Amino acid sequence: MRVLDALITGLAQGAMIALIALGYTMVYGVLKLINFAHSEIFMMSAFIGLFLITMLGGTEHPLLAGVGGTLMAMVAAALIGMLVERIAYRPLRNRGKSSLVRVTPLVTALGMSVLLQNLAQLMFTARNRSYPQLLTGSLSLGPLSVGTSRVVILLTAVVVMVVLELIVKRTWFGKAMRALSANEEAARLMGINTSRVISATFALGSSLAALGSVLFCLDQSPVHPSLGLVVGTRAFVAAVLGGIGSITGAMLGGLLIGVLGELLKLTSFSGGTDIPAFLVLIVVLLVRPAGLLGSARAEKV
Amino acid sequence: MAEARTVEPSPSHEPWRARLRDLAVVAVVLVLAFVVDQTLDRVIPDSSVRQLLMLAACNVLVALSLNVINGMAGQFSIGHAGFVAIGAYASAITSSRLHERFGAGDPTFAHSFLVVPTSLLVSALCAGLAGLFVGLPSLRLKGDYLAIVTLGFAEIVRLTIGTAQISADETAGHAWSEVHGLGSFFHAISVSIAGLGGQNGYAGPHEKGVPAYAGPFWILGLTFILGVVAWRLKFSGWGRALRALREDEIAAAAVGVDPTRYKVTSFVISSVGAGIAGGLIAMMRDGNPTVQPESYNFQSSFDAITMVILGGSGSVTGAALGGVFVTFSVKLIELVQGTNAVQSLKRSAEWLDLNALRMIVYAAVLIALMVLRPEGLLGERELTLRTIRGWLRARQERRDRKAEDKP
Amino acid sequence: MELVLEHVCKSFGGLKAVTDVSFKVPHKAIYGLIGPNGAGKTTVFNLITGVYKHDTGRIVFNGHDLRPLRPAQIARAGVARTFQNIRLFSQLTVLENLLVACELQKKASLFSSILRLGAHHEDERSMKKRAEELLEVFSLRDVADEPSTSLPYGNQRRLEICRAMMLEPKLLLLDEPAAGMNYGEAEGLKDQIRWLRDTFALTVVLVEHNMQVVMGVCEEIHVLDHGETIAEGSPEKVQADPKVIAAYLGEEPEEEAAG
Repeated sequence: MRVLDALITGLAQGAMIALIALGYTMVYGVLKLINFAHSEIFMMSAFIGLFLITMLGGTEHPLLAGVGGTLMAMVAAALIGMLVERIAYRPLRNRGKSSLVRVTPLVTALGMSVLLQNLAQLMFTARNRSYPQLLTGSLSLGPLSVGTSRVVILLTAVVVMVVLELIVKRTWFGKAMRALSANEEAARLMGINTSRVISATFALGSSLAALGSVLFCLDQSPVHPSLGLVVGTRAFVAAVLGGIGSITGAMLGGLLIGVLGELLKLTSFSGGTDIPAFLVLIVVLLVRPAGLLGSARAEKV
Repeated sequence: MAEARTVEPSPSHEPWRARLRDLAVVAVVLVLAFVVDQTLDRVIPDSSVRQLLMLAACNVLVALSLNVINGMAGQFSIGHAGFVAIGAYASAITSSRLHERFGAGDPTFAHSFLVVPTSLLVSALCAGLAGLFVGLPSLRLKGDYLAIVTLGFAEIVRLTIGTAQISADETAGHAWSEVHGLGSFFHAISVSIAGLGGQNGYAGPHEKGVPAYAGPFWILGLTFILGVVAWRLKFSGWGRALRALREDEIAAAAVGVDPTRYKVTSFVISSVGAGIAGGLIAMMRDGNPTVQPESYNFQSSFDAITMVILGGSGSVTGAALGGVFVTFSVKLIELVQGTNAVQSLKRSAEWLDLNALRMIVYAAVLIALMVLRPEGLLGERELTLRTIRGWLRARQERRDRKAEDKP
Repeated sequence: MELVLEHVCKSFGGLKAVTDVSFKVPHKAIYGLIGPNGAGKTTVFNLITGVYKHDTGRIVFNGHDLRPLRPAQIARAGVARTFQNIRLFSQLTVLENLLVACELQKKASLFSSILRLGAHHEDERSMKKRAEELLEVFSLRDVADEPSTSLPYGNQRRLEICRAMMLEPKLLLLDEPAAGMNYGEAEGLKDQIRWLRDTFALTVVLVEHNMQVVMGVCEEIHVLDHGETIAEGSPEKVQADPKVIAAYLGEEPEEEAAG
């Protein structure tokens, strides 16, 4: 019983982690860059979501506040994501491959992450803030009783993933994204406005992170500036575990990390979920560096 | 472009003369360090200023060691604090044990000749082994994998030490032994890790603080000597091969430079340096007598990256300057934060977090630097008397030319 | 010191880059490897130098199977190469580019170069002397302290050959050394290749599109098309081969030579 319960919680957790992991993976797909700032966008949108939901009435109008707040937080996160890309990554593009500038995108990514986290610390202070309880009650599925929030989260995540899969596979934007991922120069020569596609990728990834963060906080967690570090790291591990650059991989990785974390809580192991997550990460990189579903590429000589 | 040249500024003399000069310099430095060691307390009565000075020297070592892997080898490690932490804990334990053997009185200068080298050797060995363990598999992979793995490694080190306090409690040990036959093994490990004091930190076996054997003699002397070593590494054939590897791995392999071997060696050298720096920080006179896991969090790894990048990746003098600058600015903020004016300001404006402000400024400067001048202040160049003279001369010439143009 | 390829195959995913290629380059020969674009010539070089590993077949140099060796080990076994798309160490000077290549011949250890012992200075001096001699031959001596990427294209190609020669190789693989050179420079290159072979008792394998160079300097030529061997033999024989003319040289081989 406890195992089944943990499985469901783990799946819900994992679904949210997957939503954030998608952002890492999509940006890596088009830019071959680990967007370290992504986890901070997640944290920022948790704060924005909290303020918006409170502003829209909180528990008095749960539906309006929940849905409206979430959507607006997604828009805000998309804007932040595009801003981050514009400031920290775009100026560095097309600089060639000289060894002196090769690590610069990594440095700006790290810098952006540190900047956003401390900005949040300054603006919102380090104290915990709780979300209003919008999703209360529980549904009973046979012998199980599952919290409404869990059900909402799982359903949302599944819908989002299906929609995302359709976007990537069926729409022009998805095609452009994949073309960019395969060969940026060729994509540009084919008339794709690469800057716009990259911007849109950041926007999409960030808004998914916002969705994940609002759901995450509604479910269980208070908001604080180091939330990005805590949850973002897990999402990052999930993305690498599934194979960074692979969208299905990110979903799989997220679910695995979520379930693993919950199952670990059943044991007497008390090192938290982060130590095992990092160990898994390192082992995966060593055994199968492309991740579970990723594919390796060879350099052309 | 002509300035991209990185040939060693001062040409070498006859070998025997060079060696004689080396010996003379080492002797002078040791004497100077000894004099400083014995008089510093009187020259600078404020212990926090002394601490700042020594911390700056240690951070120069941190920056120099990170520069080997991030600057010279062109890899990107973001978990340097993990290796510093390993060095710090190793030296803290070794020196405390040796100190007990000596009767646990006041640390004497004579004893430090046994304690400091031994402890630093243990630190270097532990950190170097950890470096080998982390680097050997991850440096075979391409791209940003090293960054990810080092990040994970440093977090594992910090979290393992930080949370060990709880996991060593009796029930946990029992639960493990019920689940696995290996219970007693895990139990022994978790107890010994918990012996490091968890979140509260390690302060010797009887909580009396890590003995402060590393005075200015050791810290300043070693910083100077290891600085010279870093310089010579850069301008040795090994350093040249490493820089070639950074430019083009495939071409380097085609002329016989084995990428994995060189990268792993450089990573181990870098970790050894970090370990020594950590050891010195742990045993520092006037320093913090407790080694705490939180001193080695991601922020301190980021500080180390800032030190290297501000000065210019690959530049030994640049890294050293970066180390000094970052240390002083961190300390300055701590001092400012302690003043009455700021304290009262904080009471009225709760949000004012100067450390957060510092990190914002650092991060913004770093981003701006990467956008405007990606090679850092110095690039790969070195700051020597000769280059400074060159700059001054160039400036003078420009001024002269302007003066000529005017009439 | 001969190089032998026996039934070498390599495919990337579904693409067969090299299929059943066999040839033998005798000691001190100058051997040409030609074929239209995408014929697999550079892939053969990458297989010999270990950048890629062949799927089946054997590559044997000087009696040693090269398959288990890593690229750096193959270089140390005496196989040096240049690259089609020049790969110099861009932040290093011309001289430093050469010095990297003799790193592994040094007697001094890392330890002794930190302590600056006699061996370190001896090494540096003898390496520098050798590098300067080579630069002299390729008339690059004057630019020894310039950044390598500031050189004009043709000189960068020559610098790559110098760098390869610093390894003291027994086998030199040149990947389109004449690319971008004019008639006069190409003539000079022919002489330089012969001079290298005679002076250092080298075996040379040449991938080249410039027929002036290939036909003028190679003693034997191997023609690839779509990864398969279509002809083999002396320059005269290959030039007359109808399959070669059809696949590669086209109707008028002279025009090809001018380009």
